[in-house]
Amino acid sequence: MTDRQKVRVVIIGGGTAGWMTAGALTKLLPGRCSVHLVESEAIGIVGVGEATLPHIRAFNERLGIDEADFMATTRATFKLGIEFQGWGRAGESYIHPFGTFGSGKGTVEFHHYWNRRRQETGTVPPIGEYSMAVTMAYMNRFTRPDPDPDAIESTFNYAYQFDATLFAPYLRRIAEGLGARRTEGRVVDVELDGDSGDVRAVRLESGERIEGDLFIDCSGFVSLIIGKALDEPFEDWSHWLPCDRAVAMPCRTRTALTPYTSAIAMPAGWRWRIPLQHRTGNGYVYSSAFTSDDEARTGLVGAVEGEPIADPRVLKFKAGRRRSSWVRNCIAIGLSSGFLEPLESTSIYLIQAAITGLVELFPEPKVSPVDRNEFNRLIDMEYDRIRDFLILHYHATQRSESEFWDYVRTMRVPDTLHEKIELFRRRGRIVKYREGVFLDASWVAVYIGQGVIPEGHDMRADLPALRALTDGMDALRSEMRSKAERMPDHRAHIESYCPMAEAA
Amino acid sequence: MQPDSIRTVVIAGGGIVAWSAAAALKRRIGSLRIAVVTCPVPANALADRAISTLPSIVGFHEDLGLTEADTVVRAESGLRVGTMFEGWSMGIPPYVHAYGSYGAPVSAVAFHQLWLRGADWGTPQSFDCFSPAAELGRLGRIASAASAGGPTPEIGYGLHLTLGRYHQLMRAYALHLGVAEQSCESLDVELRGEDGFIERLKFDDGSTIEGDLFVDCSGPDSLIRSKMGGEFADWSKWLPCDRLVVGEGAADSQAMMLDRVAATPAGWRWNSSSPSRSSRGVAYSSAHSSGEEALGQFGAAGADATDVTIRQGAWPEPWVRNCVAIGDAAAMLEPLEWANLHLAHSQIDRLISMMPGRDCATVELAEYNRQCTAEVERVRDFICMHYITAGRDEPFWKDAAEIDPPASLAHSLSLFADRGRLPYYEEETFSRDSWLAVLLGQGFRPRRTDPLADILTPEDAEREVARYGDFVRAFVAPQPNYTDYMSNLRQRSFQ
Repeated sequence: MTDRQKVRVVIIGGGTAGWMTAGALTKLLPGRCSVHLVESEAIGIVGVGEATLPHIRAFNERLGIDEADFMATTRATFKLGIEFQGWGRAGESYIHPFGTFGSGKGTVEFHHYWNRRRQETGTVPPIGEYSMAVTMAYMNRFTRPDPDPDAIESTFNYAYQFDATLFAPYLRRIAEGLGARRTEGRVVDVELDGDSGDVRAVRLESGERIEGDLFIDCSGFVSLIIGKALDEPFEDWSHWLPCDRAVAMPCRTRTALTPYTSAIAMPAGWRWRIPLQHRTGNGYVYSSAFTSDDEARTGLVGAVEGEPIADPRVLKFKAGRRRSSWVRNCIAIGLSSGFLEPLESTSIYLIQAAITGLVELFPEPKVSPVDRNEFNRLIDMEYDRIRDFLILHYHATQRSESEFWDYVRTMRVPDTLHEKIELFRRRGRIVKYREGVFLDASWVAVYIGQGVIPEGHDMRADLPALRALTDGMDALRSEMRSKAERMPDHRAHIESYCPMAEAA
Repeated sequence: MQPDSIRTVVIAGGGIVAWSAAAALKRRIGSLRIAVVTCPVPANALADRAISTLPSIVGFHEDLGLTEADTVVRAESGLRVGTMFEGWSMGIPPYVHAYGSYGAPVSAVAFHQLWLRGADWGTPQSFDCFSPAAELGRLGRIASAASAGGPTPEIGYGLHLTLGRYHQLMRAYALHLGVAEQSCESLDVELRGEDGFIERLKFDDGSTIEGDLFVDCSGPDSLIRSKMGGEFADWSKWLPCDRLVVGEGAADSQAMMLDRVAATPAGWRWNSSSPSRSSRGVAYSSAHSSGEEALGQFGAAGADATDVTIRQGAWPEPWVRNCVAIGDAAAMLEPLEWANLHLAHSQIDRLISMMPGRDCATVELAEYNRQCTAEVERVRDFICMHYITAGRDEPFWKDAAEIDPPASLAHSLSLFADRGRLPYYEEETFSRDSWLAVLLGQGFRPRRTDPLADILTPEDAEREVARYGDFVRAFVAPQPNYTDYMSNLRQRSFQ
C-alpha cells in the first residue's frame, strides 16, 4: 500500500466530547491520523450525570467496550425511556419509551387503532400500557431485548444513565492505550494561516506550540476555535427554548432505582432526576427571564429526595448552535457546536453523530469542501429535528399557572414544527424519515402524552371489527404485563451484572 | 367511519395505472366507493405501456392479495433481474445493473471500497461479478436452491408484463372488489366557484360524475390535473431524450432475465423478451437525430412501431385541492431504468397511507407533495447520472457529459468522485448498490477510497473480495435455469 501522509488531528478539550472523539479516531483510523489532545485540569467539565439514548451502545460496541465493565466503572444503570411528569397538564405523566407501541404486526401504526377505539367507545387505556418498555419501566424490571423479532420482548431498546465525569477518564485510558497523545495545558492563542484563514497551530500557556492539519474544538461553551478564533456566528434559539440556566445537586440514592430518567415540570422550567448506582442526579433547568437563581435553588432543594452530596451549583447556557459545525479545518464537537437542553438526553447523541460523520468523511491533510458540505448537511438535519422535538414538549401543553408556561404555550414555533403538529392533530400522521434520531414512536409518545390527540385516524384502521380490536388490545396488554413480571428487578439485575467497584 | 372522511373516488384513465389504483384503494380502504372512468390510453403513457417493471411490483401485489399464480402464471408475465448496459462508455465491456446486493460489507467497510482498493494489487473482476443477481441474470437462472452455508444474498425480481393479460387481470380484480366502470372518449372538468375544487367530470355524451376525490391516471396529458393550475416543471435540460419509438411483438426464441439497453449515437435502444412477449424501442433526442435514423435501428420490426414525443418533467404539486395525479400524469420520465410504473405504485401507496379528509387540507397535501417530489426528483437524478457519466464521443454524448446537474445530483456525484461515498436522501428509489452498479459499471472512479477501509490490510481486503467472488459462483452454479423454472411454476399453479 502506498504510504499516506497522516492527518495530524489536534483535539482541544478533554471532556466527554474530546475523549469520545480521541477514542473513535485512534480505534477506527489508526493509519490515517495522529491524535493529540490538549486539556487543562484547571478547567472543569460540564458533565453532571448523563442520561443517554440507545445509539450509545453502537458507539461502545465499535470501540470494543465491554458493557458490564463500562457500566461498573461509570456506575451506570439501565434506561428504558424518559418519564415526563406534569408536562401536558399538572398531575399527568407519561413515558417516552425507547421502543414502539403495539405488537408491530398491524397494517398501520398502533396509535391509529388506539385512537379509533377511543373515538368509537369514548374511552381507552393510556397508550403506554401497550408499550413493552413502558410496562417494564413502571414495574422496575429490566432484561435485554429478545433478538427474535417476533417476540414482544423485542419491541424495546435501552440506553444507560451514567456518571459522565467517569466516562471521559474511561475513554481516555482506551484512547491513550491506542496511541493518543495528551498534553496538559491551557490554550492561550490560536494561530491562523494568513492566506487561507485555516487554523495552523495552537499555543499553550507554557509557550508550547502545537501544529495540526485538523482541529477538533471540544472546548465546551467557550468555543475557543470555532467561536473565538474563527468567529462562526451563533444561531440563537432561545426564543423557542428559553431555559438558560440549570442548578444541579446530586443526592444519595435511597428510593427505587428506576430504569428511566424523570423530567418533572417546574414553574419556570423542569427538573431532572437521573438514578445512578451510587447517587441520584438532580437539577432544575430554568429560564432566568422567569425566575431568579435563588428561587430556582430553593425550588430544587425543596423537591429532591435523599440526602444531598454536594451544594447546589449553577450553570449558564444559551440554546442554539453555530451556523456550521465544520468551518475551514476545524470541527466543533459537543457544546462548542451548540447547546440543546438535556430534556431528551441528546448531548451525547449529538457528539456521537458528529464523530460518526467525521469518521465516515475523514479528510485528507488538506480539507476538501465536498467532505465539509456533506458533514454539515448531516449535522444540520440532526440539529433541526432535535430542536423541533424539544420545542414540542414545551409548546404542547395546557399548563397556564405561570408566566413561563404561558409564554411557551403561546409562542410562535418554527414552521416545520407547526406543520408536524397539524398533521398529527388532524389524522395522526407522523412526518417520516429514516435517517436520524427520534422516529415515529417518539413523536407519538410525546404528542399523545401531552394531550395532542388526533381528530381522525388512518382509514385502514377501520378494517378489524371493533370487538376484535378491543380483545386484541386487551390480550396484548396482558401479555406485556405477564412478560414483564417474569423479568428481573432492575436493581437485582445490576447487582448481578455490573455492580460498581466501591460505594461512593 | 369518521364523519369528514372521503367517501367517493373517481379515477380517470384506462390503463394499468388506473385499474391498479382502483384495486388498491378498494382493497385497502373498503369503505370507499370507487368509479373508474376509462378513456383511451395515449401511446406515450409509459407506466401503462412499458413491459419491464422493478421488483417493487411484487410487494404491491402482496398488499393487494394477489399471488404469483395470478400475476405471473395467469397473467403470463416473465421475471427479470436487471438490465445489461452496452456501449455506454467506449472501451468498457457491458455491465449489469441488477436488483440486489453487490458484495457484502466486511468489518463495517462497504464492499465497493474494498473492490476499489483492487487498484493496489491489479484490478479484480468487474464489479457486477460480485452481484449474485447479476450473475443469475447473465446465466439465465433463478435463485431457488438454498445457498450452501453462505449468507443469503439479496435478489429482487421485477416482471416482464404481457400488457393485455395484465390489464385484464387488474381490471377484473378491481371490478370483483366492487369498483364501478364507465367509459368516455373525452372529458371536461367542472370546478366549484367558491373554492376551486372539482365539482364533477362531464363527458362527451353529456353525462357527468361527481366525487370527493379525483385521481388523474390519464397519462402524460394529465387530463384533469392540467386544469387545476400550476406550472409543469420541464426537465429537458437534464434529460436530453424527447422522442420514443416503441414496438411490441411475439416472444423471441430466447427469453432473457436481463433487458438490454445499448447506447446509440443520439440516445439508446432497448430490447427485452419474456417467455410470452418481446419489446424493443429507441429513445432519442430530436435535436440530434431524425426519426428515420431511429426507426432504422429497428430493422424489419420498424414497420408497426410508433414514434411519440415525451416531455420529461413533473408537476411540483401533483396533488391540488381534490385532484391528485398519479404516474405519468404526475411526472413523466423516459423509461431508462423502468421506473414509471414503480412511481405510480409508490404514489398509490402514499395516497392510501396519507388519505386526508374531504377538505383535502393544505397541510396534508403539502406533505404528500413533498414526499412525491423528493421521490421523482431522485429518480430523475438517477437517470440523468447515466448520461453525465457515460463516455462516448458523438455530439449527443458530448453534450450529455456537459449537463449541469440538479443540485442534489451534483452533490451525489461530487461526494462519489471525491471519496466513493454516496449521500443518503429520503425517498430514494434506487439503492446505493444500484447507484454503484451504474457508476462503477460506466467506469466512473472516485479519486480516493474511504480511509475506514484501511482497517483491513491489503492482503485481507484482496482475500475477502476473492472470497465473495467464489461465493457468487458457488451460489449461482446449482440454480435452475429460467425456462425450466417457469414451466415448473406453471405446472405447480395448475395442479
